[in-house]
Amino acid sequence: MCGLKKMMRWTFLKELGEISEYDQAALDALRKRILGAGLVIVFFAAMIFLRLWFLQIHKGEEYKNRAENNRVRIREIAAPRGDILDRNGKELVTNRPSFNVVLVREDSNDIDDLLKRLSVVLKEDVSVLWEKIRDAESKQKHIPIRLKENLTWDTLAYLETHNIEFPGIRIEVFPSREYHYGDMAAHIIGYLGEISKKELEKSDTDFYRGGDLVGKMGLEKLREKELRGEKGSDSSEVNARGFEQQLLTHVEPVPGQEVRLTLDIDLQQVAEETMDADARAGAVVAMEVKTGRLLVLASTPRLHLADFEGGISTKNWNALLDNPKHPLINKTLQAMYPPGSTYKMVTALAGLAKGVINKDTTFFCPGYISFGNRRYNCWKHGGHGTVDLKRAISESCDVYFYQVGMRVGVDALAEYANKLGLGSKTQVELEYEKSGLIPTKEWKKKRYGVKWQDGETLSLAIGQGFNLLTPIQLCQMTATLANGGKRYVPQLIESVTDADGKVLESFTPKLAGELNEDEKKYLALIREGMVEVIQGARGTARSARIEGINMGGKTGTAQVVRLEQYKHLKEEDIPYKYRDHAWFTCFAPAEDPEIAVTVLVEHGLHGGSGAAPVAKAVMQKYFADRMAVEAIRKSIIQ
Amino acid sequence: MFRVDRRFLRHFDWVLLSLLILVCGMAFLNLYSASYPPLGGMPPYQKQGYLLLMGVAGIIFLISFDYKELHLWNYPVYLLVILLLALVIFVGNSAGGAQRWINLGFFQLQPSEPAKLMMVITLASYYSRKEVMNGYSIKDLITPIILMAIPFTLILIQPDLGTALMFVIIFISMTVFAKLRWSTYLILGFSGIALAVVGWFYVLKPYQKQRVETLLNPAKDSLGEGYQILQSKIAVGSGGIFGKGYMEGTQGHLHFLPERHTDFAFSVWCEEWGFAGSLFFLGVYFFLLFWGLHVAMSARDRFGLFLAFGVVALIFWQAVINLLMILGFLPVVGIPLPLFSYGGSSLLTTLLGIGILMNVSMRRCQAGSSLEGCNDM
Repeated sequence: MCGLKKMMRWTFLKELGEISEYDQAALDALRKRILGAGLVIVFFAAMIFLRLWFLQIHKGEEYKNRAENNRVRIREIAAPRGDILDRNGKELVTNRPSFNVVLVREDSNDIDDLLKRLSVVLKEDVSVLWEKIRDAESKQKHIPIRLKENLTWDTLAYLETHNIEFPGIRIEVFPSREYHYGDMAAHIIGYLGEISKKELEKSDTDFYRGGDLVGKMGLEKLREKELRGEKGSDSSEVNARGFEQQLLTHVEPVPGQEVRLTLDIDLQQVAEETMDADARAGAVVAMEVKTGRLLVLASTPRLHLADFEGGISTKNWNALLDNPKHPLINKTLQAMYPPGSTYKMVTALAGLAKGVINKDTTFFCPGYISFGNRRYNCWKHGGHGTVDLKRAISESCDVYFYQVGMRVGVDALAEYANKLGLGSKTQVELEYEKSGLIPTKEWKKKRYGVKWQDGETLSLAIGQGFNLLTPIQLCQMTATLANGGKRYVPQLIESVTDADGKVLESFTPKLAGELNEDEKKYLALIREGMVEVIQGARGTARSARIEGINMGGKTGTAQVVRLEQYKHLKEEDIPYKYRDHAWFTCFAPAEDPEIAVTVLVEHGLHGGSGAAPVAKAVMQKYFADRMAVEAIRKSIIQ
Repeated sequence: MFRVDRRFLRHFDWVLLSLLILVCGMAFLNLYSASYPPLGGMPPYQKQGYLLLMGVAGIIFLISFDYKELHLWNYPVYLLVILLLALVIFVGNSAGGAQRWINLGFFQLQPSEPAKLMMVITLASYYSRKEVMNGYSIKDLITPIILMAIPFTLILIQPDLGTALMFVIIFISMTVFAKLRWSTYLILGFSGIALAVVGWFYVLKPYQKQRVETLLNPAKDSLGEGYQILQSKIAVGSGGIFGKGYMEGTQGHLHFLPERHTDFAFSVWCEEWGFAGSLFFLGVYFFLLFWGLHVAMSARDRFGLFLAFGVVALIFWQAVINLLMILGFLPVVGIPLPLFSYGGSSLLTTLLGIGILMNVSMRRCQAGSSLEGCNDM
């Protein structure tokens, strides 16, 4: 060891010896070069200083936010959606917990295998489950993806007890809608569905996330803002692996606001069930004549709301589209029909107001009228003989109104139709309302480019021309006639109340228009005629009579086609889609009207037989209590 | 053998020692936070404490003899280090696909770290002995190139490109410092470029290429390499002016920051102490480097000068590469911040390097010195 060391020392120190005489000049030269090295250090120090200044001072705030986003995870808590009640506080729609299966991808390492096993439990195809995951691919891995909604108790129990076998699978409790009256008022209430990408982009707030449920139709859609409430949230601190470290803040969700409708669900039920009883397709509208509150707004066939929950299947959707009775259309306001004889009140008002007729004016009805080179028939082949206005209304004499129409002309008819709200939307709070059609000379010229034919005025006067209206318009018109000339906007919302019971919005009648004093004078006469329709010995709707309540009304039959080939057929033999529509509109009590009811039955043939029984059922229900009291009073007197 | 002279103690470099204590103190403080919460086992700051003690022993050993003895020890130790580097390839512990460590029981030795210091001593010894007035020709450089190429290749095989490149950087620093002829510059420059091209296509592993590519286009790979750099930038930037406060950093404590107590330790410091704290640390750190240059400047001979310069270059380049990586200017290369990052081999090596600096500094006033302050001799 010592020898080796000596040898090494000899080797190197010999070399050292050669340079042991220091060349001071060379050393000084090197020392100068150190200054250069110092400059290199200064250069990099400056660079690092500037970079630090840029990151920490210049971009400091931005990076602070990014660090905050890194560590804080916000989990939203769904707010219970607001309840929907009827006018008497009966619950129509409330929430119930729904149990959904969700997958948290970051907690599962073999999603493929997991889904295979899960598909057996859920009785869903694996491809369906994969589809849902693919849809949410872009989301972060900790965000749960909903695989199936509304688990049955059996599935729920199975998954809960076998949760170890399904890593990453969780059960999510989600408020979902419960419809206490089944499909009652389905078109009005509407349904919820998962928010679409388009809706998500259109939404002006950042309230919504993919997978949220939003109202897709009816009031659920129109009152979405009130009903949805405010989401709550849990903000927790997470580490880089996504494990939650601590809860930072908790914000309770604010429940949605309670919407109370003006509808009376009992009346609605009577209307819908009576329509359903004979498989009638059509609409029933009932309205408070002095306020515009809607009591019934029914369209049949009804929608089956449960089909829509969680997205309607293509099969069900196509079935709805192909159904000849058009269940998707809310017939109270999204469909237009020729008014038939219900239009005669408009003709009567126009005639009276223009001074063409008065209370005592009579026309002779031989069963037809010749005009130009055509013969215009009255529905009664034998004719009505000499009729005045009251009888003309009550027996629905076509000839009388041909005469009036001929004298006032198409534009005067349109003027009074418009005054009664026809031809424009009623502004009821529902979507896709149709405005109907009230023709004028000008309109025809514009629309068809041809001159108005006077003969067309005759058809128009009895409601068979171009004119079209919606059931809700006719009900509003009936109410206007009944209340003495005030046209109220039909309304659906009685009140909106927040979770603390504070009333945020309450019903106030909205006047859409009013007849002038002269015009108002004629209404009593028209009402008298309408009362005769029901109460009179020869009225067309005597069958609708309710003992103890005086009613006024008008029947109507709207021709769908005028095909000669069906003329000779018995009514039952005419194909369904060619049968006439049946109208009936009425108000009660005659002395001081409170309620107006309008019924349209598609292809229901005759107003008196097809539509009036439905209105009668509604009226009976409406006055049931009063009639019971009356009956007791009577029995006491006796 | 230990010929400690009282005179040398009188010339002991107290400034250097103070700076060292200051830097190590901050490193220790930071390490406690950076390795919080503890993962079990001996916490890194405690290990670092033991290693510091070992390092102090090493320093005492190193200053106990005249640095000219290093001429003697150079080649045997060089051979030993090369042997260790060769050994690590066969019996080394691997991590992340690279074999870099030899398990010594109490700690994992990473031979490439002492090899760096060996490189400095070897080159200093060579250049100080080979004095050429007009600069070195390419022929003069054959020996040092071979001396550098052996450890470089062995480390590249591990593979550890970052560390391997450190050898090239030290070589270039010291060689350029020693003065070259212009022709030598040209030859070295062209062959360097040629080697880099060949290396890119035939030697670099895909992950290494990716690191370089990620740097050029960080958006390409946001959850891999780019993610680490991004998280580091977020950590540094979110510190703002005064930082989030000691132990309050979220990027580090919630594990967003990768390698938070080793390569990215300084990100933690920046996050918790802000711009002010970062400037203070860097002020001290760069002062230490300048002081190292001062030591080189005042060295009594060429060897001392080259040794001090080499040690400063070694610390400086690692620090700059580490800092530029943390600040998002360089790819993730696995170079620690000397004295600050956790890592036993690096810490011990750096402390030994500081020991050499102290040695050179203490013996500045020996024969031949023309410096001021040596009059008492």
